Amino acid sequence: MTISLLLKVAGCGMVVAGTSGYGSWMAANYRQRLNLLLQLRQMVFLLKGQILYANAPLAEAFEAVGKRMEGMLPEFFLQVAGRLYGQQGKTFCEIWKEEVGQIDPESVLANTDRQSLAALGEHLGYLDRDMQERNLLLYLEQLDLVIRGLRERQEERCRLYTSLGVMGGLFLTVLIL
Amino acid sequence: MAWLLGYRRGGIFIDIKDNLIRIFSKDIRNVLRQVSVDFEQVQEIRLRVHSPLLMIHNNHEFYITADGRLGKTAGNSFRVSPKDIKETLEYISEYSLYAFEEEIKQGFITIQGGHRIGIAGKVVADQNGIRSMKFISFVNVRLSHQIRGCADKVLPYLFGHGKVLHTLLVSAPRCGKTTLLRDIIRQLSDGSNWHPGVTVGVVDERSEIGACYQGVPQNDLGIRTDILDCCPKALGMMMLIRTMSPQVVAVDEIGSQEELEAMEYAMNCGCRLIATVHGTSMEDIRQKPVLKKMVQERWFERYVVLNSQGGPGNVDQVYDARGTRLGLPGRKDYDN
Repeated sequence: MTISLLLKVAGCGMVVAGTSGYGSWMAANYRQRLNLLLQLRQMVFLLKGQILYANAPLAEAFEAVGKRMEGMLPEFFLQVAGRLYGQQGKTFCEIWKEEVGQIDPESVLANTDRQSLAALGEHLGYLDRDMQERNLLLYLEQLDLVIRGLRERQEERCRLYTSLGVMGGLFLTVLIL
Repeated sequence: MAWLLGYRRGGIFIDIKDNLIRIFSKDIRNVLRQVSVDFEQVQEIRLRVHSPLLMIHNNHEFYITADGRLGKTAGNSFRVSPKDIKETLEYISEYSLYAFEEEIKQGFITIQGGHRIGIAGKVVADQNGIRSMKFISFVNVRLSHQIRGCADKVLPYLFGHGKVLHTLLVSAPRCGKTTLLRDIIRQLSDGSNWHPGVTVGVVDERSEIGACYQGVPQNDLGIRTDILDCCPKALGMMMLIRTMSPQVVAVDEIGSQEELEAMEYAMNCGCRLIATVHGTSMEDIRQKPVLKKMVQERWFERYVVLNSQGGPGNVDQVYDARGTRLGLPGRKDYDN
């Protein structure tokens, strides 16, 4: 009897720990996505600087920005730069979209983030420097909106995920018992 | 490091061809890949929308067929489509036409390797001059070649009283003046039997002399050469004199009043000047409004006139400051 009770308590503890862990993981993912988008914003700012100030072609600009930072997104920039240097007979838009498609599907970026990133490549390189600036500013504006939304909801969402994790675990425990 | 391979004949053949065809559209790449001529002897490849693909090889014009053969008739030649031109421009500009705005206004883009791409289309102009160019339909790819030793026969004439003499290379387009200038710079910088090496400052407005790529010269301009890349010549000469204290300043294709003023400044600062100018003869430059002053006032101590008779790059004559012939240094072939 005592062993059976102990096992039940242990099982319930594991369920609660598991769901709480999942909740915390969701909260961490939320924060990570926010950090990733902040890094992306910084990279686009640097890209803008490379294009407008240094008058660098896209390959050189992507390479310069990619080398300044570490992580998944700088790696993505370096990958794009490498393919642009390779001049493999594809348009910039094709290369960009292919590389956006190659970003780790397990990463915390949402589908909407990927779609807007892919859309950025549709007009990059087209026409003059003013056009590049407008394109990048438009993307930065969209990015800012997403970041602002994520920041506003960050506390509430993270608390919600962790609480839901714990509460969900407890609820399951009650059901099991 | 292309220049290191540059003098292994077989090596440069592969290098130039492989690097060059990457700037063309996929269809043209496929055609050029099958062309079996020595790309060292290719001077130009011309693309004109809805017209045959042309190649100037060894001073002769050829049509290129879709299977890469060179012919003298347009019959089976490969026709260049608007898509080919558009795609080619994307690759030439590294997908970044915006980065070449200033060059496009002047009608050319210089690419890695120092090859100059001339473009023509519909010019967009306003009261301030040319703003841009659209509907680009004509592309001329002019290949740059580096030939060590092509200045050997001219070099003895460029020294006097232990100094490098102010020298002007006079030549019509495609006669090899940039190639000659490049080798003169290299030999002055490295030193030769005629003179120990001197510090040379090069203002390379169109990136043709040094063919710098991300600041690193792709052509060998010698160990004592400083290059100011993509800088307007008049400004660049002043900058170099103030910052790098060159003993010799070298510039390509002078012609404007501002450039002449900067040259005068450089000469007054004690720098020796090596420059090139478009022209066909001494008489020709004497008649040019901007240039005649410097001939009359004997700014230059040597004039090397090139012509393309019997192939590009023949030294026609060397003159002193007064315009007196110094003798024919012999003929040597070198491409532009």
